[in-house]
Amino acid sequence: MGSSILFEGTTSKRNRTDHVSPRLLALIPLAIGINLALGQFAAATALPLFLDTVGTVLVAVLAGLAPALLTGLISQVVFTLVTGNVTWLAFLPVQLFIAAYAALAADRAGFASVRRAVVGGLGLGALAATIAAPIAYFAFGGVTSGGVTVVTAALTGLGVPLHWAVFASSLSNDLLDKTITFLLVRTILVTLPRRVASRFPGVSRALGLHR
Amino acid sequence: MTVGYLPGAGFLHRAHPFTAMAIGGGVAVLAFLLAPPAGPLAVLALGVALAMAAGVWRVLIPAAVISGPFWVFLFAIHGLFREAPLTALGLSARMTASIVAFLLVIAVVHPGRLVEALLARGVPFAAAYLLAAAIQIVPRFQNRARAILDAQRCRGLRLRGSPLRRVRAVVALAIPLVLSALAEVDEHALALETRGVGTGKRRTILHPPVDTPLDRAIRWAVLGVLAVAVLVTYP
Repeated sequence: MGSSILFEGTTSKRNRTDHVSPRLLALIPLAIGINLALGQFAAATALPLFLDTVGTVLVAVLAGLAPALLTGLISQVVFTLVTGNVTWLAFLPVQLFIAAYAALAADRAGFASVRRAVVGGLGLGALAATIAAPIAYFAFGGVTSGGVTVVTAALTGLGVPLHWAVFASSLSNDLLDKTITFLLVRTILVTLPRRVASRFPGVSRALGLHR
Repeated sequence: MTVGYLPGAGFLHRAHPFTAMAIGGGVAVLAFLLAPPAGPLAVLALGVALAMAAGVWRVLIPAAVISGPFWVFLFAIHGLFREAPLTALGLSARMTASIVAFLLVIAVVHPGRLVEALLARGVPFAAAYLLAAAIQIVPRFQNRARAILDAQRCRGLRLRGSPLRRVRAVVALAIPLVLSALAEVDEHALALETRGVGTGKRRTILHPPVDTPLDRAIRWAVLGVLAVAVLVTYP
């Protein structure tokens, strides 16, 4: 899925570094930085958004499935380490699913138009919430990050059973968050300077410019 | 809020990185293994004691800031609405203990030393580099995000107000942040190439951390404690 430009080198078993190109080694930490910076900003705005997967979705588009999975995995491990917040690690399956979904969406020109990006984002939001809600409920008693927990607390206060409150808050947040994430990534793709875009064949495929 | 490496000479700073990680990871896992609320509370006390003994008590401040919202929401949902304050206490203590444990690890393990330890164990350079680079890039991106927001505010961006206004602020941050990151990819790739990444040569480790018999014994002891905890909690 577009990762051939990033994976290169010999097949020497002596040094497995050769299987990963310097460009990919440069891209993944930057994407992780984007995930964390946007995630923390979204939390600070008290909006019901996470925005902690923008970098992962971007890598899925630019470099394909395997680099996106790697970005998702390292993102969650590093976020857990630098913030101490173990909820990041618990939601690793969600990040990995998002990476796989975004790679598939990019391969099917899922960012070709605003409409396609919205539909793709809504689909991802519904699926991500279905995976995230049981993790939030069973591992953390429904309390995870700021925005989503406010909604859970409000629904619980209104008498909604906790498991439904957790699912409803996850669903509402994820639908909005993933739609905005997909729209953001589409905006980034269309505003990429041609010089940068030409280095990543995944861009034209995701935008449906050639299939 | 995030915490980075805190220079020091405490026993966890001197220990092999894997030993410090085993102790921190053991504390975090133990908090989830032992029955609440007494188990997680005891593990939390252990984590605090370790942070003090290791000379990185400063991690307790961000730990309190990060775990504060969990205490508030858990007591609101479980203590107030579901009348189960002990559940809230157990879950809150569990979260706080794991937060202290992870912040402790990041405070005592220098990323460069971790890379050398991983390479010495035969971990591919790419994997070791990605982990260390990601840890080090986080504060840089937080600073860059702040700089972009300051610049956008100078141009009239308002971060507070209606949800729509705040969404606009997110876009005003996201686009320059991502574009500037992508513009850096080539520069970083070139820097890696000049350091011999991708040449197919085995890399030399200049200062591999010393893994003493005591380090190994401590790691086995942590594993033993976790095994006992499993047997006690799930007989």
